[in-house]
Amino acid sequence: MIQLKGVNKYFYQGEPREVHALRDIDLTIEKGEFSVISGTSGCGKTTLLNAIGVLDSISDGEIILDGKEIANLSAEAKTEIRLHEIGFVFQAYNLVPVLTAEENIGLIMRMQGFDDAQISQRVREIATLLQIDDKLDSLPNLLSGGQQQRVAVARAVASKPKIILADEPTANLDSSNSKALMNMMQTLNEKEGVTILFASHDNYVVESVRRIIRLDDGALVT
Amino acid sequence: MFKTILQVAYRNAYLRKSRALLLILMIGLSMGVMVSIEGLYDGMSMNMIDRTKRSDSGEISLYANKYRLEHVIKYRISDADKKVLALQKITGVTEALYRLEVDGLAQTARKSKPSILLGIDLDDEKKFGKFEEFLKEGELDFGKNSAFIGGGLAKKLKVKIGSKVIFTAQDSQNEIKSIALRIRAIIRSSNINFDERALYIPRGEAARFLSVKQNSATQIALRTDETHTPTLQTTLQAKYPKLSVYTFAQLYPQLQQMQTMMDVFNTITFMIVMIVVFIGILGVMYVSILDRIREFGILLSIGYAYRYIRYQIMIEALLLGLAGYFLGLFVGLLILSYLTYQGLDLTLFAEGMEAFGMSSVIYASIKSSYFISTLFAIIIASLLSVVLPLRKIKKLNPVEVIRSAG
Ligand SMILES: Nc1ncnc2c1ncn2[C@@H]1O[C@H](COP(=O)(O)OP(=O)(O)OP(=O)(O)O)[C@@H](O)[C@H]1O
Ligand SMILES: [Mg+2]
Repeated sequence: MIQLKGVNKYFYQGEPREVHALRDIDLTIEKGEFSVISGTSGCGKTTLLNAIGVLDSISDGEIILDGKEIANLSAEAKTEIRLHEIGFVFQAYNLVPVLTAEENIGLIMRMQGFDDAQISQRVREIATLLQIDDKLDSLPNLLSGGQQQRVAVARAVASKPKIILADEPTANLDSSNSKALMNMMQTLNEKEGVTILFASHDNYVVESVRRIIRLDDGALVT
Repeated sequence: MFKTILQVAYRNAYLRKSRALLLILMIGLSMGVMVSIEGLYDGMSMNMIDRTKRSDSGEISLYANKYRLEHVIKYRISDADKKVLALQKITGVTEALYRLEVDGLAQTARKSKPSILLGIDLDDEKKFGKFEEFLKEGELDFGKNSAFIGGGLAKKLKVKIGSKVIFTAQDSQNEIKSIALRIRAIIRSSNINFDERALYIPRGEAARFLSVKQNSATQIALRTDETHTPTLQTTLQAKYPKLSVYTFAQLYPQLQQMQTMMDVFNTITFMIVMIVVFIGILGVMYVSILDRIREFGILLSIGYAYRYIRYQIMIEALLLGLAGYFLGLFVGLLILSYLTYQGLDLTLFAEGMEAFGMSSVIYASIKSSYFISTLFAIIIASLLSVVLPLRKIKKLNPVEVIRSAG
């Protein structure tokens, strides 16, 4: 479903301080896959996720989403792809502080133009799966870190994107909360069939995942 | 989506409520004060114009040709009573009267001052311009050989009620004549021309003194409907070729000028308040945006279009501006309605004020235009104030923001 062909990414290309952050990446992610990008700090995990999510440009190569090249589109087209095809979960500060959990989860669906009834029904469905249905009226600052991340996952999943990209979603959580979040993502993957690709350098998180994509200094380790 | 934007706008203002309230208060109060000052200025200049029209020119005055140039009794209007009757029938004319005026010298045993003798009909003057409101001291009642005197002239001649004044002038036969007058009333019309120079006597006596026919006049003054004034001037001029027809604006250009000056002053006050609004909202929105850089970074990353953020910020600024506006509307109306009914009592400075042709109690005027133009100005200032903060967000690189958040 997602195919990377010969992707390279340089920061400060041509300058003395040039960084070759991604090296000739060829990678295929199939629909319904649950996989993790692992590697030491600075190996390029975030850079790779940002490239797949068309958040950041790449220096050369192709990224194909369902048969369509997406890495070389205009900024507006990339915004549309991010809104409609991809769900994002970041390490922290995912939520709009003045919106309740329910409103945060429904935000993307609202941007996509779903009506109130559709949004409300879908939000409840996902919130129940992620066990935050009793927190829907709370503002983010009243939620624990684990709950906040679950709301962020719920928001990413609610609009049924083609793929969820999560960059170290458990980095700010303790181990029991991390495990709970991993279990719930796994459940989502099984029940909803969502494709999930995330980055982590926590060994115990990585071990629980079927497919591990190892990165070392910007290159895939096979 | 729009609902969400409004919600976020409102809650963000609420989240930073002390800042927001301070700003709203600042906008509201400065606007309230500005509108009040505007109302006072307008009230003041309208009051001066009103009193000048009532005591002298009306909206339109007619003089014999050349009289305005030479001011001698030779150039007078004959059969003024018939002309006034005819004029009163013309549409647009609401009141009409005539006066007989001559330049001369007023004297007491110790002092003498150049002055004018005004022959008036008291009943006509009351109907024409509520003359009774100009009475400052004494009684509005002409006895035998008595006169009213302008307040400024009274002071210069050091005369009181009951004092005697001799007025000397040339009559229509070029004879020098004098008349002894006992002062019955002191008049403050707030029209400097008269307050500083005039002696008022009955019109009939003035005619006798000047050896002219009873129905002679030097001036016919008309009150008219403002809308009719310009056309009336041309029709009257055509109808009375031997008379010169002047409008108030031509007779008192300095008052017209003063109104222009007041307008300029009002515009400056207005601009100052708008700058306050602009800077106030700019500051508050700028800080609010800096607080929320991460939020915007995340939103842009998940596919939130930049234009929604623009709407978001614009609506937040408008919310603050409009809240301030409504407070200002309330405060302004409150102050202005007080100043319209009670007036601003400046009796302390009365002397100075009256010398400038103002009354000592100033009543404000309320015009909807104060509030309508302010509304537009606040909307524009609010929207302009976010241009700079928005550029900051436009330059934002979401990737950097997320990286720094991690
Ligand atoms: N915006 C940038 N400008 C310059 N260099 C960058 C930038 N982003 C990343 N890099 C560099 O690219 C390399 C890969 O960084 P990246 O953030 O992808 O690593 P990572 O695997 O996500 O690390 P971590 O586990 O610490 O999050 C690093 O050497 C980093 O210094
Ligand atoms: Mg990273």
